[in-house]
Amino acid sequence: MASRAGPGHDSSMWILITLLWRIMGRLLRRLGRGALLVPVAAMGMALAGVHIWTVALVLIALVVAFRKPLLAAALLPLSMVSAGLAGLVVAALTPGGTVGWVVNAVLAKPQAWFASPAKPGTLVHSGKVGSPVSWVVGGDGPVPWPPWVRLEVRPGKMAMLGQVLPVKPMVPPHAGHVIAMGAATKAAGWWQGRLLVPVALLLLTLGLWLASRMLAGLGARMAALLPELHRWLAKNRWALLLVPVVAVAMAAFGAHPWTIAVIIAAIIIVIRWPVIAADLVPVVLAVLAAYGFLIAANWQDAPAAIYPHAMPYGMVWVNGPKSALAAGAEASVFLAFGAWLVPRTIGAHLRTVFVRVPDTDLAGRVQRLTETRGHAVDAAAAELRRIERDLHDGAQARLVALGMNLRAVERVLPGSPNAALALVAEARETSVRALNELRNLIRGICPPVLADRGLGHAVQALALDTPLPTTLEIDLPGRPTPPVESACYFAVAEALANAVKHAGARSAQIRIRHAAGLLRIEVSDDGIGGADPALGTGLLGVERRLGTFDGILAVNSPPGGPTMVVMEVPCVLSSPKTSSC
Amino acid sequence: MRVVVAEDLFLLRDGLTRLLSAHDFEIAAAVDTAPGLLCALLEHRPDIAVVDVRLPPAFADDGLQAALAARRKVPGLPVLLLSQYVEQLYARELLADQAGAVGYLLKDRVFSDDQFVDAIRTVAAGGTVMDPEVVTKLLGRRSHDEPIARLSAREREVLGLMAEGRSNTAIAQRLFVTEKAVSKHTTSIFTKLGLAADQDDNRRVLAVLAYLNS
Repeated sequence: MASRAGPGHDSSMWILITLLWRIMGRLLRRLGRGALLVPVAAMGMALAGVHIWTVALVLIALVVAFRKPLLAAALLPLSMVSAGLAGLVVAALTPGGTVGWVVNAVLAKPQAWFASPAKPGTLVHSGKVGSPVSWVVGGDGPVPWPPWVRLEVRPGKMAMLGQVLPVKPMVPPHAGHVIAMGAATKAAGWWQGRLLVPVALLLLTLGLWLASRMLAGLGARMAALLPELHRWLAKNRWALLLVPVVAVAMAAFGAHPWTIAVIIAAIIIVIRWPVIAADLVPVVLAVLAAYGFLIAANWQDAPAAIYPHAMPYGMVWVNGPKSALAAGAEASVFLAFGAWLVPRTIGAHLRTVFVRVPDTDLAGRVQRLTETRGHAVDAAAAELRRIERDLHDGAQARLVALGMNLRAVERVLPGSPNAALALVAEARETSVRALNELRNLIRGICPPVLADRGLGHAVQALALDTPLPTTLEIDLPGRPTPPVESACYFAVAEALANAVKHAGARSAQIRIRHAAGLLRIEVSDDGIGGADPALGTGLLGVERRLGTFDGILAVNSPPGGPTMVVMEVPCVLSSPKTSSC
Repeated sequence: MRVVVAEDLFLLRDGLTRLLSAHDFEIAAAVDTAPGLLCALLEHRPDIAVVDVRLPPAFADDGLQAALAARRKVPGLPVLLLSQYVEQLYARELLADQAGAVGYLLKDRVFSDDQFVDAIRTVAAGGTVMDPEVVTKLLGRRSHDEPIARLSAREREVLGLMAEGRSNTAIAQRLFVTEKAVSKHTTSIFTKLGLAADQDDNRRVLAVLAYLNS
């Protein structure tokens, strides 16, 4: 029976392990490596015992793993190394443990401790190797237990790991006497048993390995950040002074929660508001100098009986009239340095506020705007000329012909009604042609679907009218302004027309999406490539038209294809229902 | 036959009602806005609605939207859209409910009143009438699309004329062939498009739909 139960038991174990492995793998894929922080933290908790702060730590690890996976991944090696080290320490100090045996054999005192009086409130080590190990508590009051000890005070009652144990004295409480005795057992469970040392070593190895990789990654990121850091330093070098200056000022008051808070606040100001930090440096220096003068004055005329307390001021330890004078001299140095800083910090910042200095960025922007405005005006004029010519040669000429036709009808109607009928048919034909031309003209100015439905539908209609299988991916939650819409529509139309006419493409793809205030349009085809905006007027025109809206056009079209035209226009979308062309 | 006319330009509305009256249509209502159109359609339930795509209040595709809304409430309500331009996109939306009884013509087609009135009657009878411009554009593309690709050039021509709402007789006249030949082509088209041999009218609509939605 037992022999049959064995394999069944094994297979169900395997199923369980496989299941756990799957769940773990899926979780790790979803949450990233950082999710491992939670089990590592739980191991740490098992070592340190169930405590409010250990539970809080595990909960924090849980929150970090789920909410900030990147931070969790960064913390993981650190927590692994510390958990591994803690495990080794625990193993070393656990009575009866493998390492503990070595430690005890080397370090432990003989059992003479029983007689010696213990210091109040401390734990006296038994030094006895093996189990059960006796422990004796000396002194009265609560005894802080080391976290790894389990003390069996009475049968059936066991102290929790890391708990402060209220023990009932075995003898009347008396300082220096033995008040309780119990048997410290080897901690129960696999964690602190045989597996402790291997698991701790494994955690340590993994943690160190991960840490080395992370440090390499950190190095690469720092290298990437270095130019940025240089720029920041060049711009805000005086702001950095705020931290040492505030630290010197706070040193005069000693280490208090509020002085530390002020220093931390200074660090935050330097990081978040470097300009304000730089402006604060001379102010703090002036206050510090005033305080130094005050100290110097106080020490000079005070009677010896009511001398102020000795205190540090900068680099001087003020404890007498002479050192107070030195502090005064140091204060003048501070004041002079602050005065020297004023034009470099506050003055410079005020100048940027009140005096307009030539700004190269602004000049470039003006030049770009001038260029694009010129293009826009030129394009508008050309467009007007085209419309005028089309109307003049097309609809207007047809209407003239129509009028002449009707005049002829008037003339011939009395004499030959048949000829008149033919003329009327011709007039009708002319009116149809005039309408056709007007329709095409209007389509060239503002396509009806674009006006009615917006860019998404208009591009859809364009794709339907193109003799090329075209796939669309359009994600537009609203409508851009009509001029942007129009520019984008004709840009897509131009790119598609190029794909048909020049690239000999078999299929095309259009993707439109709007994210973070940027409308991005991609038109790609599988044609022969070799498109260059500098060669043809079409894409150049598109580029200029988009440039009016700070949009850009990029063409990637190697000879042999494929071609990809990417357009980006910064714009906001209006809600879909309220706008119309 | 009772007609609702929707057109915002007075001259065109007046011209349309006069033309239709002259051909013995009864004008149930002549409206000039999209909301007015929807009310009139739901109230009068006409045999056909002749609708301008661009109507107040937004002067966009309000007429189309109102007609589609009415057809959602009254499935198969015959609607003939008129417009200064034809868009395949709008044609597809009209055809999307697959109920037939829709038409989409350029306003110019009103000039030849016989053809226009024929188109109205075809749509009112449940047929589909598409403007030749839509059909021409369709002929120009999608040559390799299934299952239309299985049709011969002649069959595609016949199907195109069917999409314009023409009867077999009219197609025969147009192509200078006998009506029997046309009938042979249509049967072949139905077979190739996999349309069961039940009602002829319904099959024509389905064939045109397959064609336009290809």
